[in-house]
Amino acid sequence: MKHLKKTLTLFLALFLVVATFAACSSPAQQATPSESSAPAEANSPEAPSASADTPAKKLKIGATYYSLQNEFTMRMDNAAKKYCQENGIELISYDGNYDAATQLSQIETMIADGCDAIILNPHDAVACAAGVEIAHQAGIPVVGVNTMVESDLLTSYVGSQDVSAGEDIMQFMIDHLGKDEFNIVIIEGPMGQSAQLQRIEGIENILAKYPKIKELARNTANWSRSEAMSLMETWINSFGSDIHAVIAENDEMALGARQAIEDAGLDIPCIGIDGITDAVTAIQEGRMIASDFQNAEGQMVGAIEAAVKAVNGEQVEQFNWIPFEMITPENAVEYVNKY
Amino acid sequence: MSQLDPGVQIKRRTMSRRQFVSTFGSLIGLILLIIIMYALKPNFLSTSNIRNILRISSINGLLAVGMTFVVLTGGIDLSVGAVMGCAGMYSAYFAQTSMNKHWMVAVLVGVGMGLIIGTFNGVCVSYFRVPPFVGTLGSMSIAKGLTFLLTDAKPIPSLSTEFKFLGGGNIGGWLPTAIVIMLVVLAICFTLLYKTRYGRYIFAVGGNLNAAHVSGINTKRIICSVYIISSVLAALAGIITSARVTSGVTSTGDGYETNAIAMVVIGGTSLAGGRGRLWGTIIGILLLQCLTNGLDMLGVNTYYQMIIKGFVVIGAVMLDGLNAED
Repeated sequence: MKHLKKTLTLFLALFLVVATFAACSSPAQQATPSESSAPAEANSPEAPSASADTPAKKLKIGATYYSLQNEFTMRMDNAAKKYCQENGIELISYDGNYDAATQLSQIETMIADGCDAIILNPHDAVACAAGVEIAHQAGIPVVGVNTMVESDLLTSYVGSQDVSAGEDIMQFMIDHLGKDEFNIVIIEGPMGQSAQLQRIEGIENILAKYPKIKELARNTANWSRSEAMSLMETWINSFGSDIHAVIAENDEMALGARQAIEDAGLDIPCIGIDGITDAVTAIQEGRMIASDFQNAEGQMVGAIEAAVKAVNGEQVEQFNWIPFEMITPENAVEYVNKY
Repeated sequence: MSQLDPGVQIKRRTMSRRQFVSTFGSLIGLILLIIIMYALKPNFLSTSNIRNILRISSINGLLAVGMTFVVLTGGIDLSVGAVMGCAGMYSAYFAQTSMNKHWMVAVLVGVGMGLIIGTFNGVCVSYFRVPPFVGTLGSMSIAKGLTFLLTDAKPIPSLSTEFKFLGGGNIGGWLPTAIVIMLVVLAICFTLLYKTRYGRYIFAVGGNLNAAHVSGINTKRIICSVYIISSVLAALAGIITSARVTSGVTSTGDGYETNAIAMVVIGGTSLAGGRGRLWGTIIGILLLQCLTNGLDMLGVNTYYQMIIKGFVVIGAVMLDGLNAED
């Protein structure tokens, strides 16, 4: 009997934790705070009758991100939450955990949950297309955001052109050094991810115009600061001060490389993409020359607007490009409190 | 005598209760979880969501079923996630419409990759006495490398319709193929483990290797075989995943080994080997997948989800420990 009790207590404690978290999270996605006194109860009976034809029916949007474990996607999610809160939309965010199969089952969950529209920030452009097809069959519009999905069935796509970001940073570095004969190293994102493929395409587009620029080395650091740091340490060991510039496909890696450079007592200019908080600070301190700012908020708001339009049966543009913005020491202050 | 009897009885009764708790604890947990999720979110038990949960459980659960065999012998297989990705990529390669091959060829190539890596694991662990943790850690890296080598990390698109049916199709229009495959695999595994001499040998090897060896069991062959089973099932999961996402993706299976291990231990199989049960693993699979699905549906922040899952795994093993007390 004693053990049975012990066990039951353990379980109760466990599920209390679950229930608490669950209950806590409910009001956050409730856009109108009017019924916040009983969020769980208020939420439940509504759900099955979601398709009821009440005129003031609240829109329910599901968003799956390739991951919610990094700053950039968190920015998107925060922007989405803020926008939905202000506009009375119920938003449920899903963490894809860097796995296309996970995102696929999340889309299926959203369909089962009765979402009106789906926002897809895919981990993989090809694999996540299957999710678009599933949603299409269920008659639910899908808006791609930030990373392209290779599907004709996508309702709309909101993003920035990564090729142009690659071109921007390479050109900026050339202008910054004021010459067209120097040595560079390139730090890439996860091989095969579309942002990596397109950013390197942009970098190569510019390099093709400047044959005197020599590429000493190129490798992936998987968007990771620590991986970029050890990569850069290796390169400093092999090339030393022959490296004249570091081109990184995102800020995290640019900052990791810069750390390794400073530890070695060198001063090699670094440039990145995204415009994360740390990078803005680094630009102000002169540790990075610039960063191509990807407007996470603009992309996400654009995506939700497109989703709402699609649900209401309005015409939606197939592509909606949000331009990159170069953060330089001159304008960095504008980006400090962006999020 | 009359004084002794009640005492013996009481002890027996306590034991059996303890056993009851440790045996059915996870099942009770699963039922409670389903009730709570249903109360908070009625859509949780909608037909389509149940089908979603079972489908994803079938795919991810294949790894856990294979892992159960390995863990029963006291080993561990860290390579399952990487094998899953590797087999998924290679089968997708042969399933491309441009290759114009029968879908069975693609499946056989994928299973073949699992067979090769599994045999490699098994031989390393049993005949060369490499500790399972190290051996499978090595082959995890090898499998990952092989995966990237195939296409330089590029995904493989446009697979044949027949192949895609394995992952995304529904038999008779409503029963997902993945679930059918899982049920067949489970039937075979239950028979192997509980109806054959081979199954008893697995428990014997895990319980006491020396005793098993002395009693004439070819322990090396048994140990080798469980790694093959584990890899082949992982390969199967990879093939189904490729079919489901309708492309070969190099990141498939990344980190899945930790989930598989969690499912096995939630099910009450001891990492020390020799003690455990396959149906417990099924409970473990369903528990974790229901939890993931339910928390996702409720919109619980991903960081809290990680914390909750951690506690669930530890809690389940704590429960199981009640049985082993004194």
